[in-house]
Amino acid sequence: MNRTWLRVLVAAFLEVIWVIGLAHSYDFRTWTGTVIALIISNYLMITAGQILPAGTVYAVFVDLGTAGTVIAEILFFEEPFQWTKILLIAILLTGVTGLKLVTDNEAREGAES
Amino acid sequence: MAWFSLILAGLFEAFGVTMMNQLRVSRNWQSVLLLILGFGSSLLLLGYSLRFLPMGTAYAIWTGMGVVGGTVIGMLRYGESKDWKRMAFIGMVLGAAVGLKLIT
Repeated sequence: MNRTWLRVLVAAFLEVIWVIGLAHSYDFRTWTGTVIALIISNYLMITAGQILPAGTVYAVFVDLGTAGTVIAEILFFEEPFQWTKILLIAILLTGVTGLKLVTDNEAREGAES
Repeated sequence: MAWFSLILAGLFEAFGVTMMNQLRVSRNWQSVLLLILGFGSSLLLLGYSLRFLPMGTAYAIWTGMGVVGGTVIGMLRYGESKDWKRMAFIGMVLGAAVGLKLIT
């Protein structure tokens, strides 16, 4: 259980890496790293979703991935910190998380009835 | 162009996810091909838009569009529930995406 959540954590970290890579890669080495991070990240996320509720895994993965991406662009790529932007991204993630959790709950209720 | 390709990327992502669910029901090579095409186009378009838009904003909208698109396809084609909670969450994602476009 905890090991699987750890897998989700690593997947989210690699997600941030490949998003940075897609935005900033400039040569063979950086593009290769980007593709490897992309493949491992998705593999870890999908296999974690086979053990834990898939919607919940996806929601946590995307929330962490987005937070990481926003933090990385402010810390490393001189993107200005904007409260309105953080707030809007938080609202967007609330919507995504809500959709995923509602779907997991419906699947569970469907299995029980 | 950057925003257009970002929205399109999100829709291709939703399409890819739908094909993935389709594969769970029946395994056939058409779905595999469409899945690769969906995710491939999604990543290419996202990569293009990431060259012009702030990373966090673009990534958030991409996943948002993917999830909302997938949910809407599920509602329309596979008879998934359309209850008010899901509608409200879809509204939050779309509203926030429009807001992000306005402030970027």
